[in-house]
Amino acid sequence: MKRISQDCQSGLPDNCAVKQQQLPAYRLQLSANKILSGFFATGVFCLGVGVILLLSAKTIKEVEINYTEKCANCAKLRENAANFDKECNCSIPFFLPETMKGNVYMYYKLYGFYQNLYRYILSRSNSQLVGTDVKDVRNCAPFKTSHNGIPIAPCGAIANSMFNDTIILSYNLNSSIHIKVPMIRSGITWWTDKYVKFQNPSFQNLSSAFAGTTKPPNWPKPVYELDEEDPGNNGFINDDFIVWMRTAAFPTFKKLYRRLHRIEHFTEGLPAGSYSFNITYNFPVNRFRGEKAVVLSTLTWSGGSSLFLGLAYVVTGAVTWLAFFSMLAVHLRLKERKTFFLQQ
Amino acid sequence: MGSLAYREDPEEEKNSEFTWEVQANNRSYNNQFKEKVFLCWQRKKYKRNVIHTAKYNVFSFLPLNLYEQFHRMSNLYFLLIIILQGIPEISTLPWFTLFAPLVGLLTIRATRDLVDDIGRHRSDRNINNRPCQILMGKSFLWRKWKNLCVGDVVCLHKDSIVPADLVLLASTEPSSLCYVETADIDGETNLKFRQAPTITHHELTSIRKMASFQGKVVCEEPNSRMHHFVGCLEWKGKKYPLDSGNILLRGCKIRNTDTCYGLVIYAGFDTKIMKNCGKIHLKRTKIDHLMNRLVVLIFLSMVVISAVLTLGFRYKVREFKAKHHYVSAQHVRSEATQTFFIFWGFLVLLSVMVPMAMFILAEFIHLGNSIFINWDERMYYEPQDLPAKARSTSLNDLLGQVEYIFSDKTGTLTQNVMTFKKCCINGVIYGSEEEDTLLKEDPYLWNKFADGKLHFRNAELLQAVRANQDRRVREFWRVLAICHTVMVQEKNNQLLYQAASPDEEALVTAARNFGYVFLARTQNSITVMELGEERVYQVLAMMDFNSVRKRMSVLVRNPEGSIYLYTKGADTVIYERLQKKGLMERTTEEALASFAEQTLRTLCVACKEVDEDMYEEWRQRHQEASILLQNRAHALHQVYEEMEQNLQLLGATAIEDRLQDGVLDTIKCLKQGNIKVWVLTGDKQETAVNIGFACQLLSENMIILEEKEIVRILEVYWESNNSLQGGKKGHLKKQLPLQVKMALVINGEFLDQLLLSLRKEPRALVQNVSLDEEEPWQEPGEERADFLQARRLSLMWRVLGIQLWNTGLAPQDKGYKALESAEVRRERAFVELASRCQAVICCRVTPKQKALIVALVKKYQDVVTLAIGDGANDVSMIKTADIGVGLAGQEGMQAVQNSDYVLAQFCFLRRLLLVHGRWSYMRVCKFLRYFIYKTLASMMVQIWFAFYSGFTAQPLYEGWFLALFNLLYTTLPVLYIGLFEQDVSAERSLELPELYMAGQKDELFNYWVFLQAIAHGTATSLVNFFMTLWISRDSAGPVSFSDYQSFAVIVALSGLLSITMEIILITKYWTVLSVLAIFFSLGFYGVMTWLTQSIWLFKVSPKTFPFLYADLSVLSQPPILLVILLNVSLNTLPVLAFRIIYQALQKPGPKEEEEKTTSEEIITVEPIPHVLREARTRRSSYAFSHREGYADLITQGTILRRSPGVNSDMLVDHTRPPDELPSSMEDSSWYPRKMSFLGRNRRQHQGKVSSEDVQPASEEKLPKRQERSLSYEPWPYTPESLPPTKETPLSAEESQMTSSESQMLPSSQLSLKSQSAHLQEKTSLWKIRKLSWKNWPYTWQKEPGPPKEGTVPVSNSNLTALMETPPPTARGSSTSEQPVEVEPSPVERQPSPMEWLPGPSKGQTPPDLAGLPPSPEEQQ
Repeated sequence: MKRISQDCQSGLPDNCAVKQQQLPAYRLQLSANKILSGFFATGVFCLGVGVILLLSAKTIKEVEINYTEKCANCAKLRENAANFDKECNCSIPFFLPETMKGNVYMYYKLYGFYQNLYRYILSRSNSQLVGTDVKDVRNCAPFKTSHNGIPIAPCGAIANSMFNDTIILSYNLNSSIHIKVPMIRSGITWWTDKYVKFQNPSFQNLSSAFAGTTKPPNWPKPVYELDEEDPGNNGFINDDFIVWMRTAAFPTFKKLYRRLHRIEHFTEGLPAGSYSFNITYNFPVNRFRGEKAVVLSTLTWSGGSSLFLGLAYVVTGAVTWLAFFSMLAVHLRLKERKTFFLQQ
Repeated sequence: MGSLAYREDPEEEKNSEFTWEVQANNRSYNNQFKEKVFLCWQRKKYKRNVIHTAKYNVFSFLPLNLYEQFHRMSNLYFLLIIILQGIPEISTLPWFTLFAPLVGLLTIRATRDLVDDIGRHRSDRNINNRPCQILMGKSFLWRKWKNLCVGDVVCLHKDSIVPADLVLLASTEPSSLCYVETADIDGETNLKFRQAPTITHHELTSIRKMASFQGKVVCEEPNSRMHHFVGCLEWKGKKYPLDSGNILLRGCKIRNTDTCYGLVIYAGFDTKIMKNCGKIHLKRTKIDHLMNRLVVLIFLSMVVISAVLTLGFRYKVREFKAKHHYVSAQHVRSEATQTFFIFWGFLVLLSVMVPMAMFILAEFIHLGNSIFINWDERMYYEPQDLPAKARSTSLNDLLGQVEYIFSDKTGTLTQNVMTFKKCCINGVIYGSEEEDTLLKEDPYLWNKFADGKLHFRNAELLQAVRANQDRRVREFWRVLAICHTVMVQEKNNQLLYQAASPDEEALVTAARNFGYVFLARTQNSITVMELGEERVYQVLAMMDFNSVRKRMSVLVRNPEGSIYLYTKGADTVIYERLQKKGLMERTTEEALASFAEQTLRTLCVACKEVDEDMYEEWRQRHQEASILLQNRAHALHQVYEEMEQNLQLLGATAIEDRLQDGVLDTIKCLKQGNIKVWVLTGDKQETAVNIGFACQLLSENMIILEEKEIVRILEVYWESNNSLQGGKKGHLKKQLPLQVKMALVINGEFLDQLLLSLRKEPRALVQNVSLDEEEPWQEPGEERADFLQARRLSLMWRVLGIQLWNTGLAPQDKGYKALESAEVRRERAFVELASRCQAVICCRVTPKQKALIVALVKKYQDVVTLAIGDGANDVSMIKTADIGVGLAGQEGMQAVQNSDYVLAQFCFLRRLLLVHGRWSYMRVCKFLRYFIYKTLASMMVQIWFAFYSGFTAQPLYEGWFLALFNLLYTTLPVLYIGLFEQDVSAERSLELPELYMAGQKDELFNYWVFLQAIAHGTATSLVNFFMTLWISRDSAGPVSFSDYQSFAVIVALSGLLSITMEIILITKYWTVLSVLAIFFSLGFYGVMTWLTQSIWLFKVSPKTFPFLYADLSVLSQPPILLVILLNVSLNTLPVLAFRIIYQALQKPGPKEEEEKTTSEEIITVEPIPHVLREARTRRSSYAFSHREGYADLITQGTILRRSPGVNSDMLVDHTRPPDELPSSMEDSSWYPRKMSFLGRNRRQHQGKVSSEDVQPASEEKLPKRQERSLSYEPWPYTPESLPPTKETPLSAEESQMTSSESQMLPSSQLSLKSQSAHLQEKTSLWKIRKLSWKNWPYTWQKEPGPPKEGTVPVSNSNLTALMETPPPTARGSSTSEQPVEVEPSPVERQPSPMEWLPGPSKGQTPPDLAGLPPSPEEQQ
């Protein structure tokens, strides 16, 4: 050691702030006033936000119709996998007591359907879906290829189990006139999904792009014929498909299905009156005791019916105030000691 | 005993066989020796002189380093998980999630190792390429160290470093002496000498002769015993013995020797120093242990949780398989198989919750904090240019938990500098004047001999002295100038005093400055310059100091012819022997009391005039007594006693044993911090107590318990314990007055009786490692491992016992206690008692006992101990304590080399503990608490998610988030906390030592805090998960976040922000760095998320980067921001509020605390009857605490001569043996003499020299004395008076040697050993010594000889003339011939002024010169 100090002239350590641990520092000294006012303000803020959210959530109208039991016969039919090609329709009338103003969104909601199972969630091929290699089915087990070895497009369990009920909402002006409510099928996905993550293989013709692949076993039609009405909505960029492929986090989930096209009668939204859902019942849920429902809902700025969010904010605000008051009590009790908060 | 231990070890046994043959200048011969390495693969037996301390080379780095790293449990666990992860059936996380952090951590570590290793390579290269001269063919050529081979002859010059272990063949010094400094080996800074065998000294006088030298050295296999070597040189058909006195060890430095030549016998890794390397004793901190336990706990709970979740899966999987059509196709395997796999899958998934990164971060934090210690300029000691140094980088947080400090006294608490502070002459007290007068001018200018060292200024006294009127003043200074054993030498026209104790030097120096200059001494005269007049006193008798007599007297005949007895000694003994007790004596007594009160070391000075008749009568009795065979010491004592009567008191001196700077404050501060300071010293009780008072460890209002009281208390305790066995603990408390301050003063013998069980205990409790230190309780390697094991076991039992006790399982506890032996219980009682005392002072303890005391406290109290010391005698204590602090003082570097921290001054301990230790502890605790919180808060959502994902072990987070979370997103702030956090500033830490107590009580991190962290983490994860879950159920529209990816993003971000918020709240010390740390870690999140979710990476590998733009899409929705905000505030606010309220209610204000302490003090300060006893004891705090002086040597004349050149250095060797070794002087005093007799025949056997060995040696000298001088004693001495002779069976050859063998030891080493001897043995040794020298004709023949009249100038000629008639060995003396032709250095002994200084070389030279070396066999 002596030798070292000789070499460097002196063993005197550098006198710099970091080495001497004397960096100019701000010591977080919270005084009682600061803390109390901070808590008070936070409480006010949370309560305010909560109230606003609650108020805005109140304006939201929502109709949920569970049609699992209502279409009992169809459900029964679907229980038997052999009947998969038989069509089954059912109509569910309902009455809308109040006009649903503004944009109305239609969702389908599934209960007890696990889109978040580990094997399930992995069973997809992103590289296939992004259109780079249609035949890349590596991660799609167990739905990689059909029996005769042709790769499935889109492959994987997620795609194969795609929700395939058709729901048509019709407005019954009176007992005889049923107007099909105009619905838009676009704009229900994330922009990045529709335009980045999902791409069709670049071919002039969709069917030729998917040549050499086969449809998933559960699907009645190949992927390039998903939407017969809008040819631009076919293939991997089909909105319904994209929505389905964005897997839900929980076994109970709803997915956006359509949104109201605000024309003619519906410029204001859905007028009050009687409606009916005409459902082509394809998606079997009975076997796993799942349920299906269709939901109509309006939106506010905060999205969906944010009742819970509003409530949570109100509760947080209340808790904060509670904390504030208890601290105030403690503070007053111990007032003779001037600074007791966070002081060492 | 020590030798016994060696002999027991079979390996050592093997190594001491003489199977190592080296022939000089014959490489091919030496190369023929092969040793079996593996099966039939052989390699050369003798290693080259290349050393590789570096662990790796270019090729081996990667595999070796990886291998080493995977030795660590955490990495191995990680690896296992990754392997599991690699199995597709089990894999639940993307491959990179675990891989990336592991690679990151491995890289960081490997980089560190690499940097270290490059440094080692560099130093290896430096060392291997050092130049040295090797005899190649006919001449010495410059080669590199690495070219050196066994059998080579090398030439070394002054100040060069010895490249390998050599047999010294010749040197240019007379009789081929060679002086070496061994500071690099054993840390002793004094010079030692080595000597070439006589045969080579005579024969190898030219390079040509050396080139043809064909001697063969046969010796032991390489071993690690530094001070032990046995071998022989075979040359020309004859055998010559070799011992460690002929060996130059690698790493020594050649000093004061122009050139020397050596034969390499061990090279490279075979050298003793290398054999001694690499024993690193690993100490770990309490928190480390806790951390390991907690991680294991976490891991186990992970296993349990995995099992529970697997059960859930087991229940679910049937349903999935049967009913969920969309997944049933995936369930190909049987349910049981799947369940089995999913268990491992969960284990993989949850492995992210086991905080593995914690270990490596903790390591960095430790490193950082150590560096801060090194950097602290307030622990830099300018006079020595020494910054503090943390040698161990893993003990920092332990520094914040110290409860016991075991401190050495001399050199640690005190400076070991004695200053003449006050004196009282003739009843008048003269104190030193004010400081400012100091600066004015030197009042001693009139005196050309004045020494600037003295700071004592008193004009009044000076006037009185110079006036030379008062006889008493004159006599007072005369006593100081004459009555002592100081040796003097002249250097650059300056007198240099060398005293056995610094007290003496201080007194003589004071006398010198006041005009009574001690100029010179011979065997029987003392020359003093008295106020310019040179006077020679003839010394008639010297009655040396010893601990029983507590006084020293010199009987002199002054130039006028009258005889005076000059005495100085402890006041108690002097006052008993006074002629009268008048006013003057009483005022002096008062003065003594006041000196003692100021904790000065006092000494009474007295004299008397002796009648010629009386002297003549006394002389005869003295002579008779001095040739007595039995009870000589006693008889002498009696004779002395007769003479030392009817003294006339002259006055008293007061010497200050200067405390080191700031010791008082430091101790006070440490005591405020509830740290108990124990002083363990080899000094005697009075001195120790005196220093105890000086340090304010002891105070007047304490009950000072000594041996008897302690025994009584322990007995009472013992009885009550017996009757109430198994009952409640703490009877001790009942017996002792609660509010009374107590202190213990105990000494070594008492400890010996007390520490019985600990001695039997597995010795591993006491960790003293270095083999050459030769402690009897020290076991070689293998056994030690067993002991470690045993200790671990016993620790385990203890922990178990404590746990049982804590859980209130009384029966077990009873059973446990019943198992304890009586000894153990007594020790426990003692420790309990001692721990209740304010101060404990152990005096007269040996180094071993020091270690035992530390071990004792460690054993019975679950506390952190720190030992601080500066000398070699503190090494074992330093090693045993949890933390060893070495003071880099003057006592060599041995303590430093074995310590964990190096300080320059005791007072830096305060900053080390109260600032650095406390900070480190606080930092580590905060770090741990936060790290656990953080890991759980962010990772427990995985468990909650499992309940919703059908228990399929689906990870919630994106793989990349998981991978980078611990690596980048959260590391910097937590590292900041670990490195820079300060809860209070350094100044405040020092002002409020009470803050330190938190560490002692483990307040900042314990199981409770751990539970809190877990609860807090769980709460955070619950909030993050369920709030998001419930809100997401409600959400709708395109901004819905009920999908898996959005949900994952929100929960991850909420978690990240929550824990960042937490760290913002717990950081108390906000600097630029902390802001940067937080900014960067969040920035990393932003950048890395953006990167891993970008289209480019998605295009590269869509599977690896599936979260394309997830964050971007999610976070662009304002409602989602509201959700995150809600989560964060819900996580933060209630906890914050709770914490604040809790703190406010919990912590009493500072005022209250103050009140508490003051009230306590009021209670404790009670007058206690015991105290009165004190005054008397303290009075006798006389100087000369250390040991006897040189009186024997002086009267014998042995000491008064030495060879030129090395005097001052050699002097250090003998006059300043390591302090606190009461016996060392005895050893060093006979050491040179012995050499004079047996210089040639000596067999150095230091490796096994213990006190037992020493005495036979001195016994064996006697016959030779008989030969040489007319002997009075019949041989042999009564063996009863001697301790048992060799206990160890000796090998044939060795036993042959023992008869002629004598141990020649550098004094300090010997003293170390002899410390371990029991006092009884010491006294017997003492007797022998007395006997032996009295026996010596020269001494007493000289005595009555004609006194040298007149003046003896400090000139060479006279003195050399005087010296020319040396004691026995000189009979055949002639001038030495130059051993080597090459060197034209002086042939004749050149007389120099230093020649008459004490030193061993004189004694050694003559036999060689005489050239009459009968080999040991012949002599017999």
